Amino acid sequence: MALFRRLTNLFRYNAIDRDIADELQSHIDLRTDANLAAGMSPDQARRDALLRFGNPTSTRERVAAFDTSLALASLWRDIRYAARQLRKSPGFALTVIATLAIGIGVNVAIFSSMDAVVLRPLAVPALDHVMVLAEQQQRGKEPVTLADFNDLRRQNRSFEDLAAIQGANFTLSGVGDAAQISADLVSSSFFRVLRTNAFLGRTFDESECEPGRDAVAVLNYGFWRRHFGADSRIVGQKIQLDQHEYTIIGVLPRTMQYPPAVDMLLPFAPTPTQSANRSDHSFLVLGRLRDGVALHSAQSEMQIIADRLAKSYPATNQGWTVHVEPLLDDINGDLTPLYYKLIMGATMFVLLVVCANVANLQLARGVARRPEIAMRTALGATRKRIIRQLLTENILLALVGAGLGIGFAALYLHLTLIAMPARVARYIPGWDNISINGRALTFSILLAVLSGIVAGLAPCIEALRIRLVDQLRAGSRQATGRSRLRSVFAVAQISLAVALVIGAALMAKGMSSMFHQADIYSPEKVLTLHPDLPVKRYDTPEKQAAWYTAALDRLRAIPGADRVEMATALPYTDSGWQLDVAIENRPTTPGKLQTAVRLAVTPGYFDAFHIPILDGRNFTLGDSAYSMPVAIVSQRFADHYFGGNNPIGHRIRLGDSKSHDPWLTIVGVSEEANYSLWENDLPPAVYTSFAQQPLAGSTIAILAKGDPLSLAGPARKALASIDAGIPLDPVQTYRNLIRDNLVGLMYAASMLALDAFIALLLSAIGIFAVMANLVGERTREIGVRLAMGASKDDVLRMILRRASWLTGAGLTIGLLLAFALARLVANLLRGVRPDDPITFGTVSIIIIGVALAASWFPARQASRVDPMQALRSE
Amino acid sequence: MAKNDLQGTLDLLVLKTLDQNAALHGYGIVLHIQSASNDLLRVEEGSLYPALHRMEQSGWISAEWSLTETNRRAKYYKLTAIGRRQLQQVEESFDQLVKGVRAVLRYA
Repeated sequence: MALFRRLTNLFRYNAIDRDIADELQSHIDLRTDANLAAGMSPDQARRDALLRFGNPTSTRERVAAFDTSLALASLWRDIRYAARQLRKSPGFALTVIATLAIGIGVNVAIFSSMDAVVLRPLAVPALDHVMVLAEQQQRGKEPVTLADFNDLRRQNRSFEDLAAIQGANFTLSGVGDAAQISADLVSSSFFRVLRTNAFLGRTFDESECEPGRDAVAVLNYGFWRRHFGADSRIVGQKIQLDQHEYTIIGVLPRTMQYPPAVDMLLPFAPTPTQSANRSDHSFLVLGRLRDGVALHSAQSEMQIIADRLAKSYPATNQGWTVHVEPLLDDINGDLTPLYYKLIMGATMFVLLVVCANVANLQLARGVARRPEIAMRTALGATRKRIIRQLLTENILLALVGAGLGIGFAALYLHLTLIAMPARVARYIPGWDNISINGRALTFSILLAVLSGIVAGLAPCIEALRIRLVDQLRAGSRQATGRSRLRSVFAVAQISLAVALVIGAALMAKGMSSMFHQADIYSPEKVLTLHPDLPVKRYDTPEKQAAWYTAALDRLRAIPGADRVEMATALPYTDSGWQLDVAIENRPTTPGKLQTAVRLAVTPGYFDAFHIPILDGRNFTLGDSAYSMPVAIVSQRFADHYFGGNNPIGHRIRLGDSKSHDPWLTIVGVSEEANYSLWENDLPPAVYTSFAQQPLAGSTIAILAKGDPLSLAGPARKALASIDAGIPLDPVQTYRNLIRDNLVGLMYAASMLALDAFIALLLSAIGIFAVMANLVGERTREIGVRLAMGASKDDVLRMILRRASWLTGAGLTIGLLLAFALARLVANLLRGVRPDDPITFGTVSIIIIGVALAASWFPARQASRVDPMQALRSE
Repeated sequence: MAKNDLQGTLDLLVLKTLDQNAALHGYGIVLHIQSASNDLLRVEEGSLYPALHRMEQSGWISAEWSLTETNRRAKYYKLTAIGRRQLQQVEESFDQLVKGVRAVLRYA
């Protein structure tokens, strides 16, 4: 009730204020009357009444505080006052707003993208309750078997429900071009676990997860848009998957792109044999924790069930446990959050630099405002009141800056979204969700208030220092404290800028070295194709080998193709995973893993990619499906597993102990080649012959005589003449393939570079402002010096000495900071040393140059001071 | 535990004054407290008004503009029913405070 009355009073503030003034005046009048009656003179009577009453204005404010929700009323007055003050100095206000807009804008943009990609890649309610379950043994985590999944689902009490997911590939036909699609088979509990509903149509239920009733499909949003042009009448239409008819029953919402890069979801309808299988580790299992169940208690319950299963089924389950991990961690992996933390941290640094800059400008303006503040203090404003006023002013500036900054962020995000190739974006869950949403807006307001306070602190400290009497006396001198404070800000700016520029330079250097590490292969002259043979039609190695042979023949016939080779992976693209290796007649030591990456290649591959055969022989056309299976191992493999002895003639086998792969006879040793973009230590490699064992997921490399992209059309046509239903994408140059793999890193590096650029610019402005101000303050002193016989050069040197001191201090602190940052960057990238002397040296020189250039103008101004004028001006 | 801050004491003095008099303006309250306490208590005139307006907003007292005997306009304050109950509470808690302080003084 009282609050309501106070709030309504807020709207008739003027009336209330007049009423209070009247009441207080009537009190003073009554006292004056009484004084007159007691025999005082009119003047005396009035003076006594006023003295007894105290400051009427401040009393009026305090009284009004109780009549209205004062905090709000006076805030409004503070805001209006601040706006008036700022309108009086538009240049200052615009500069501050623009810098804050940049600082806050960059932060909001990064935050929005981090929020979508790292914090909420899926718009799933209570995502933190969703867990990924994996079975684990000594060698590491693996997917779950179906029988184990059923037992875990039945026996646990920690989870509301569990869902099983199995990846599958189909050829889609019936609508538009034939396409190879990735469709996951999921149990109907999938939608319950993720708490997601269809965006169009419906999802499937338990009854459709039975053999014979499972011919329905739910599309992912991205695939629906890409392949069906976002046709809203898609529900109910029929499609062909591997020549079987399915009905589309729904489309998932845009924010539910999970599993990443999956085009559609189909009901998983296991046969009884499948349900009883305890050795086929191929199911990804998700579970939603019940409310109030902690991760560790779920983990220990799973442990108990796993132990029970191991006792009941020792043959298959001995040594296996169950591992529980939040889905969010599983989606993000290790690197992405680290990158985002790095960029977010750097961007916060930029905001700090911005705040320092604003504070600096405020201090410069503080000189002009001193009399105003002194006057307000003299009129009875308390310190608290003045500080509140100053902070209001700064927060107001920051909020306006944030408003502009959001526009800036929107533009920035728009540009990054355009720049990201769709092929890569598909693999980043949450990428499509990036937008400036409510959380980003809240974040921007928070930042604005925070930076308003940080930037406003300096003028506040300054205001507290004002000595009333000194100020009201005319012609007062400046306190030196202020210029010291400003120097501190300038030093802080320089050091932050040094750290950011060095961090960005290292990042760019690392990125470029990663980008160019494949240059020895002339990647710009190589066209790559990625044929994906549908497993169901090419179900035997013979059929696959026949296609590959025909493909190579036709491609080699294209004019302009110098050489055509094939490999499961090209250097620096992706090594795939490591496989166990067994060596004939040598028992494996338990606990010691023997692993290697496996690459199937054509005979000409080693020559085309400059990988010399060091010992033994290369593959030949004679190595075929009908001859002895052979292998070439890398030098490292020989060193690792044969201790320098000649491995040629020994036999090895890839895969685990139950593998049915044939024994391979080692016929050669090759030089090392690096297949991973990221790792520095090369795993041992085993090459097999493509003709003997064709592997799925291979890359065809066409080494072109001229422009490789001009061969794309003829190559597609040549391959379509063998089988038109085989997807080949992406068809692009080897260099672009590498670039796509580095897109995330390029994004991080360009962000850091932008941050560094802004910081450098602002710190140049900062040091310029400090020096200009210094010269302004010391004009008289400089005049005296010149009058006493100092030369212009002396003055120039004096000012530059001061600037060097500031720069030196900033540089020293900055280099220390940069060293810490560099170690972080070096951990993320190969080819980066945390103590890279060239980068550190170059950046230091640049910073010194920028700082001295920024102080050159004020210094020259100082040397041109006319002594007579300077002395006369006081 | 008695509520025993100084603000509470000023509230008590004002409420009691208005309880004993029908309606008073601020200046009248100052005069009454001074004379009723035999000049021992002097309310700082400026700081009375924030207290009066706070009590008015809490509904303990009501206010009305009226004319004084000397024909000046002044705002008169009156105790409300809520104010009377409040006075009782404040009085009790003040008694407690006095008793408590006395006990401590005797003990020493």
